[in-house]
Amino acid sequence: MFCGEKKLLETERRVKANDREFNEKFQYANNRIHTSKYNVLTFLPINLFEQFQRVANAYFLFLLILQLIPEISSLSWFTTIVPLVLVLTITAVKDATDDFFRHKSDNQVNNRLSEVLINGRLQSEKWMNVKAGDIIKLENNQFVAADLLLLSSSEPHGLCYIETAELDGETNLKVRHALPVTSELGADISRLAEFDGVVTCEPPNNKLDKFTGDLAWKDNKYPLNNEKIILRGCVLRNSSWCFGMVIFAGPDTKLMQNSGRTKFKRTSIDRLMNTLVLWIFGFLVCMGIILAIGNSIWEHQVGDYFQAFLFRDEVVKNPIFSGFLTFWSYIIILNTVVPISLYVSVEVIRLGHSHFINWDRKMYYSKRETLAEARTTTLNEELGQIEYVFSDKTGTLTQNIMTFNKCSINGRTYGEIYDNLGRKIEINEKTKPVDFSFNPQADSKFQFYDHSLIESIKLGDPKVHEFFRLLALCHTVMPEEKNEGKLIYQVQSPDEGALVTAARNFGFIFKSRTPETITVEEMGKVVTYRLLAFLDFNNIRKRMSVIVQNPEGQIKLYCKGADTILFEKLHPSNEELMTLTSDHLSEFGGEGLRTLAIAYRDLNEEYFKEWFKLLEEASRGLDMRDERIAAAYEEIERDMMLLGATAIEDKLQDGVIETIASLSLANIKIWVLTGDKQETAMNIGYSCNMLTDDMNEVFVISGQTAAEVWEELKKAKQLLFERSTGFTNGYAFCEKLQELKLGSTVEETVTGDYALIINGHSLGYALEANLQNEFLEIACICKTVICCRVTPLQKAQVVELVKTHRKAVTLAIGDGANDISMIKSAHIGVGISGQEGMQAVLASDYSFAQFRYLQRLLLVHGRWSYFRMCKFLCYFFYKNFAFTLVHFWFGFFCGFSAQTVYDQWFITLFNIVYTSLPVLAMGIFDQIALDTSYWTVINHVFIWGSIAVYFSILFTMHSDGIFDIFPNQFPFVGNARHSLTQKSTWLVILLTTVVSVMPVITFRFLKVDLYPTLSDQVRQLQRAQDKATPLKSHKRQPRRTSSRRSGYAFAHQEGYGELITSGKNMRVKNLPTSGLGKTMYNSTSWIENLCKKTTDTVNSFSPDRTVKL
Amino acid sequence: MKRNNCQGLPSRMPDNTAFQQQQLPACRPSLTARAVLPGFFATGVSFLGMGILLILSAKSVKEIEITYTDLCSNCSKLRENASNFYKECTCSIPFFIPEKMPGNVYMYYKLHNFYQNYRRYIISRNNRQLLGEDNTDVENCAPFQRASNDRPIAPCGAIANSMFNDTILLSYYPNSSTGINVPLLSSEITWWTDKHVKFQNPKSSNLSSAFAGTAKPPYWRKPVYQLDQENPENNGFLNNDFIVWMRVAALPTFKKLYRRIHRIQQFADGLPAGNYSLDISYNFPVTVFKGEKGVVLSTATWSGGKNFFLGVAYTATGAMTWLAAFSLMAVHLKLKKKKASFQC
Repeated sequence: MFCGEKKLLETERRVKANDREFNEKFQYANNRIHTSKYNVLTFLPINLFEQFQRVANAYFLFLLILQLIPEISSLSWFTTIVPLVLVLTITAVKDATDDFFRHKSDNQVNNRLSEVLINGRLQSEKWMNVKAGDIIKLENNQFVAADLLLLSSSEPHGLCYIETAELDGETNLKVRHALPVTSELGADISRLAEFDGVVTCEPPNNKLDKFTGDLAWKDNKYPLNNEKIILRGCVLRNSSWCFGMVIFAGPDTKLMQNSGRTKFKRTSIDRLMNTLVLWIFGFLVCMGIILAIGNSIWEHQVGDYFQAFLFRDEVVKNPIFSGFLTFWSYIIILNTVVPISLYVSVEVIRLGHSHFINWDRKMYYSKRETLAEARTTTLNEELGQIEYVFSDKTGTLTQNIMTFNKCSINGRTYGEIYDNLGRKIEINEKTKPVDFSFNPQADSKFQFYDHSLIESIKLGDPKVHEFFRLLALCHTVMPEEKNEGKLIYQVQSPDEGALVTAARNFGFIFKSRTPETITVEEMGKVVTYRLLAFLDFNNIRKRMSVIVQNPEGQIKLYCKGADTILFEKLHPSNEELMTLTSDHLSEFGGEGLRTLAIAYRDLNEEYFKEWFKLLEEASRGLDMRDERIAAAYEEIERDMMLLGATAIEDKLQDGVIETIASLSLANIKIWVLTGDKQETAMNIGYSCNMLTDDMNEVFVISGQTAAEVWEELKKAKQLLFERSTGFTNGYAFCEKLQELKLGSTVEETVTGDYALIINGHSLGYALEANLQNEFLEIACICKTVICCRVTPLQKAQVVELVKTHRKAVTLAIGDGANDISMIKSAHIGVGISGQEGMQAVLASDYSFAQFRYLQRLLLVHGRWSYFRMCKFLCYFFYKNFAFTLVHFWFGFFCGFSAQTVYDQWFITLFNIVYTSLPVLAMGIFDQIALDTSYWTVINHVFIWGSIAVYFSILFTMHSDGIFDIFPNQFPFVGNARHSLTQKSTWLVILLTTVVSVMPVITFRFLKVDLYPTLSDQVRQLQRAQDKATPLKSHKRQPRRTSSRRSGYAFAHQEGYGELITSGKNMRVKNLPTSGLGKTMYNSTSWIENLCKKTTDTVNSFSPDRTVKL
Repeated sequence: MKRNNCQGLPSRMPDNTAFQQQQLPACRPSLTARAVLPGFFATGVSFLGMGILLILSAKSVKEIEITYTDLCSNCSKLRENASNFYKECTCSIPFFIPEKMPGNVYMYYKLHNFYQNYRRYIISRNNRQLLGEDNTDVENCAPFQRASNDRPIAPCGAIANSMFNDTILLSYYPNSSTGINVPLLSSEITWWTDKHVKFQNPKSSNLSSAFAGTAKPPYWRKPVYQLDQENPENNGFLNNDFIVWMRVAALPTFKKLYRRIHRIQQFADGLPAGNYSLDISYNFPVTVFKGEKGVVLSTATWSGGKNFFLGVAYTATGAMTWLAAFSLMAVHLKLKKKKASFQC
């Protein structure tokens, strides 16, 4: 694509900063990208070449060549060239427009501006003119133009934050930091211009999370890794500027390297059609052979005598040779059984169906003004064949919005509202939310409906105050004050954001933080707490704590975390409250809320100082450092007093539960593939009713080694097997069978209620060749499969596995860039056009705004498309066979001489003009639902219109005028007039119609009478009770109440506590001038720690994280 | 985010048209017993009636066919040898019409086993030449394009070359001694469009000069401008027999209209019963291709000639429809009873 011969395969890249001449030697690609295929000159040859690679087009070209041989030509060349040219033109126009838009978008991207350092000055330069080695200045919220080595940034220590949503779909901010030597350069243009480091690194590749290389500058070599690289497609966040040196530009960037050509997806109808066409082609050849043999015999027995009237060429005299020629002649004549217009018609029908999807108001999301969009027009009927749906969780099933929904404080729940009679009222849009207008700092988006909580606060309930104080103090949120004094929180995890925002609205406003202090506005009074220690979160602890000292000098430990863990650390006096809170937590969990327990502990100064010494010792120690710190944390986080619990709703999108229910009624299996934690994933599983308490078994597979996974799978299989053998033994089996039979008629599936939950690590093993069959077997028996902690690649692998081994049609639905791989590998990819960028949508075949539209897409559009397409194919082949077999039959009367019955123009126009529209109308507009029907206005217009067109063309072509102009091309002058005035013509037409229609009606009538389908029965019922009662709308299933305890709700990485306490991530200007005591503990190594920890989590998260796109 | 339509801002919401939302009003022809059974009975009745009508009218057609290939065996033999091309051979065939043939009577010649539908035969003609535009245009006429002296053949092509060239005369014998020639008309035996649009003579003062520089087709005895010695108007490409011949038959056995009986004198009401004879000048060789030829005399009715196909087909269809209707009714009633008993 990019002039491969011009340069040899790159093995190593060397780029020198600010030295274009040096870099030019290597002929690195510049930053211009082009995704377009053609230009004005190459369009025609390339496009034609591509088009003739399609078998159908090549076949018709071959026919055309045959027709140019006079001995063979049984039809004029125009019978083939007219449709062929038509088809080629339509396709070419479509390709040209597509490419035009690609040119346009390329231009738009290429002409974006960025600040480039040229000749010692910052200049605005178009993206396409940026070259490897250039130094670029980026500003906040700007897209990164190329793959850069971060040199320096506005933040201290050369830190900068980027959002990689476009690349991998993760919305949390990531930290990148420059080398200390380069971060010193700062924004000093002259020093930057003098920077002449040489980067040596790997050649361009598509691995998003790997980079190896080194920077040679001033006789020193500095190793480089991924932490120092900012990739094209990222957005700079929370950093006012940064400078970077271009390493890879344009097509060499990792983003572009990842955007492989999309695979051409085919539907099963496509394959069926190709097989059909092949069979029909075989049939055509058979007919040709039969007629050719007939011709040989005829020539031998009759033709010889007939010669008297037709001197023939010597060559043709040989009966065998004549038969050979006749074979080809008949191939030409009978080619209408495999008509060229088939392919065009199929395309047109699919286009029509796609438009119906685009136009559907029931798939239009008014809140975000998003239409459903069929981005690929060739897959519609496959939508009706889906067996497996693979769904992402965040942003697809859920809205990715966390809301503080309920809480339990000191044994009392808040968040539910009751009417006067004490009945629970369902919260809907009409419910009046709590008015937070008394609080000028309140976040207007936050809504809470229980007025009693605000009253408790106003009454000054100390526990309630403590509760919200804790929420305002114990977190990792960073505040940002915008110029109008508006407070914006930068959150690591949306859960924490929800909690801090709730506290803010209830009057405990987290204002600012320094490494040593946290400032909170408590009910209008500004209080600054000293932050004494930050006991960070990690996966084992499942909790986090802060130790703060209020201005009165009281030291308190505030802790929040998973209830299971926290309840063990409580003071024995909390027994009663704990049971009560535990009940509340179960209740919350049952509603699918994410819960956290919160507690505090009063500390006396002596004890704290002692403990702090212990901690310092632990952190100074070299061996067993982590363990010793953990032990120190354990020591202080005990004897805590329970305050209550919070419940956060990971809001499901509207209608998710109903959609999943109706899809499973349609026997579509839904697998959830998510990068989230097991707890969160299960939580969502429960809240969308995919997991229920009355499931026979929920298998959780979380083995860390292949052997463990194998063991777990075996156990699961054994369990399944035992159950099923239990059924085969005697009576129980029959019962089950009956149940099953009932199940098919009653709207309830009773097939085995099992669920499988597997995490990414185990999935890695389960997907290996020796285990994958086992895994697939179990997974397919299970009603619900949830894969958590999976990488984008694994998502694709799972889809691929089901696709190849189950031979099932799969659909993948997701919204983030991490779903792209599965969207691309599934038969059909659906993108949710949500908040997480457009990457998934761009890779998808269909896109819409809400998960619930999947139901309409599959069960209405997909089903209709499939039915229409099937009917269309039947109709189409029927009409062409009826049309063509006449020639076969006539062959027996005309000495197998390949004489046509119809005139050539009729043959030319039959498929593309006379009969195309009625078939198309049926293919596009036919419906199978009960309330709608076959004969719409369009069908009428098209059928009668086609007949009218037929007659008008007939009379034109049989007219005197056209004969006078082209006597040899239109020799049938007067035919129409004479044959249509014959009474017998009309009598035959009438007879044919009745003879063709009568058997069909008889058959259908008997079928309705003898074997009525479900819809027939319904229709009869509808007729019987003349007044059609409106179908009962699906009652919203009540939320189940369950004993299940939900998981804790931390969605952020560990290590941020250290960042906060060290203050390294805070702007210098924010740091207070006053010295509020010395830094709590030495943290020079914080950045190494952070790096270590983040890479650890990344590594454990994805051992092999190459995004395959 | 949410835009307000009242303020006239465009909304991306799709239009709520019945077409776009796939809710066009439509009728679904539902196959209820009440609609299907009466329909079947009515169709059956009308088809049976039509069938009987067609059979009766076909039956009323009087038709006589005389195959004379073997009856004129001496002439057939003579024609088998191409060297006898210019030798005349006539043949008289007496026959008897038992019943009067009333009304218009048409005379056809009928050929068996003559493949006028053979592809290479059919394409061997040139409509531009026949339109009188250009005598030298002999494209597509292979293998009869040019004569040995390189003159273009007019009319060119295999169809024209193989034109049926027997002359058939019909004589009536009211008594055994004297015969009367039955007056025959060759006019109006062609399609109007053929005579007036499709075939035109080249423009010239007289016909022979119009065809100057052309050769006659090799199988022809006379050039095209001398086809009809009696009627100078009936010559050239406008010769009626020629036009009829040029409209090729679809099947290898066919008959073509040759003459109409001129309804004058005693033939004003058609052909009376009695003795007749055909006087044939036998030119067209058929034995070489194992063919046969004959003469057909026939009257006509509104539905055409003596063809029972349509009548039989209509009757059979009508009968089948009735059969179907009765069996459908039986099935339906039986099931209805069953359902009713179930509901009790």
